[in-house]
Amino acid sequence: MKKYAKQIDPMDNVATCVADVSAGDEVFVKNTNREVSYKANTDIQFGHKIAVKEIKTGEFILKYGTAIGKATKDIKVGDWVHTHNVLDHYEVV
Amino acid sequence: MDFYGYPRPDGQYGARNYVAIIPATGCVNAVALQIEKLVRGTKAFTHHQGCLHPPQDTVQVTRTLINLGKNPNVASVLVLGLGCEMVKPEEVVEGIKASGKRVEYVGVHAEGGMLPTIAKGAQLAADMVLEASKLRRERAGLDKLRFCTKCGSSDTTSGLSSNLVVGEVCRLMTENGGTFIQGEVCDIMGGEYLLKELCVDSAEGDKIVAFVKDLYDRGCAVGADVRGSQMTEGNVAGGLTTLIEKAMGANAKGQKVPIQSAIEYGGVPMCAGRHIVATPGHGFENLTGGAAAGAQLILFTTGRGAPNGHPCIPAVKICGNSKTNKTMASHIDVDVASVIEETETVKQAGQRLYEYAIEVASGTLTKAEVLNFDGAMEILIKGPVM
Repeated sequence: MKKYAKQIDPMDNVATCVADVSAGDEVFVKNTNREVSYKANTDIQFGHKIAVKEIKTGEFILKYGTAIGKATKDIKVGDWVHTHNVLDHYEVV
Repeated sequence: MDFYGYPRPDGQYGARNYVAIIPATGCVNAVALQIEKLVRGTKAFTHHQGCLHPPQDTVQVTRTLINLGKNPNVASVLVLGLGCEMVKPEEVVEGIKASGKRVEYVGVHAEGGMLPTIAKGAQLAADMVLEASKLRRERAGLDKLRFCTKCGSSDTTSGLSSNLVVGEVCRLMTENGGTFIQGEVCDIMGGEYLLKELCVDSAEGDKIVAFVKDLYDRGCAVGADVRGSQMTEGNVAGGLTTLIEKAMGANAKGQKVPIQSAIEYGGVPMCAGRHIVATPGHGFENLTGGAAAGAQLILFTTGRGAPNGHPCIPAVKICGNSKTNKTMASHIDVDVASVIEETETVKQAGQRLYEYAIEVASGTLTKAEVLNFDGAMEILIKGPVM
C-alpha cells in the first residue's frame, strides 16, 4: 500500500506522515493536481513530519503555511523533522 | 441549502425550542432537575456557581446566565433562585427579558422549601412548553447561523483532518454572512500572534494576546507552568514538535478567516464573521461560553472520541480517525477520515460538514442528543473559590 504524508499548505516545507514509514520508503504527497514522492532517509512514525524541501540551519519550519519552529541543523529532503532538529522559539511575553 | 429555525422576538432563529430552567445558584440544581423530569420540553442548565466568588466572577456568572437565556435555542425561561445567592436572580430575569422572551421566576426561600417551589415552577414550565410548542420553524437565511467550535479528546488526526474541515466551514459560513466563534485560550497559546495578524483591528488582537497572558499568569499564581505543561510528552511522542505547531493545529478550525473581535467569557459577538471568545479548553465551561455567545450549535472535533454534548446547543461530533469512527460510531456524527485517506479534499469535506450542520440546525438530532449525553455544563470562574 502507498504511504502518504499530508502537506497542509503548499508553502509548507514539511508534510505529516499518515502511516509508519521505514527508511528508504517512498512517501507520497498529494497536492491539488499531482502526486509527488519523497524517499524517507530514516524511519518516521505515523503523525511525525518529513521534510519535503531542504531547510538550512536557522530557517523556519513551515506547516499550516506558518512558521512553527526553527531548524537547529541542516535538514535534507526526506529527513525526519522533530525536536532533535527543531527549536521551539515561542515564549509567553 | 436553507436553514429552518424557530423565530425569536429579537430576530434570531433557534435550532431547538427549549424552555430553559436556569438556576441562579448551584444550590437549587435539585429543584431544576426535578422540574426537568416532570415537564417534557424543558432543559435544566445546572451549574455549580452563583455564590462565594470574587465580585468579578459574580459579574461573569450573571452575564453568562443572561446570555444563555438569550440563546436562540431557548424559547422561554424559568429562573430558579434560593434567596441569598450572590448572583441576583432578578438581574438574570431582567437581563433575559430584554430579548422579548417570556421569563418567570420562583425562589426556594420565598416559596417555603423545595416541594412548593417544584409545584409552582413545574406549572409555569408546563405553560411555557405548551406555548413554545405552538411555534413553527421558518425559513431563515444562512446569515442567521452562528456556530461555535471546540476540539476534545484530540489526536494526530485532529490537526490533519477534522480541524481543517471545520476551518473550511468557518470560511464558507462567514462568506454567507454567518458567525463563527472560537475559543480555547490554552490552545491559542503559541498561536496568539498569528491570530492577532488575522484581526481586522489590532486592538482586538492585543486582547487575544492578553487572554493568553492572563491564563499564563493565573497558572504562575498557583505555581504552575502553563506554557511548559501545554506541550505534553504524549504530544511529542505523537509527532508534535512545537507549541506553535500544536496551536496552529487547534486554530485550523478557523483557517485564515479574518477575526472581527475578541470577547470576554459569557459575552456575545456584535457582528457577523469570525470571533474569539475567552473560553477555556475544558469542555463544560467551553461549550457554555459558546452557547452564551449565541451559537445554535457546536462543531466539536475529536480524535479518540469525546461523547459529551451541552444542554443548550447540539454538539456535532466530527472525527478523522478511522479507528474511532468504528469503535465510537454511536457518538460520532460526521466521519472525515476521508481527508487523511486522500479520498476527499478538505474543501469537499467542509462543504459536506456545512450542509450536515445546517440540517442539524434545522432539526436533525445529534448522537449526543439522542443518547441524552448532553446534561452537564459549567460556568467559568477565574478567581479562587472562597
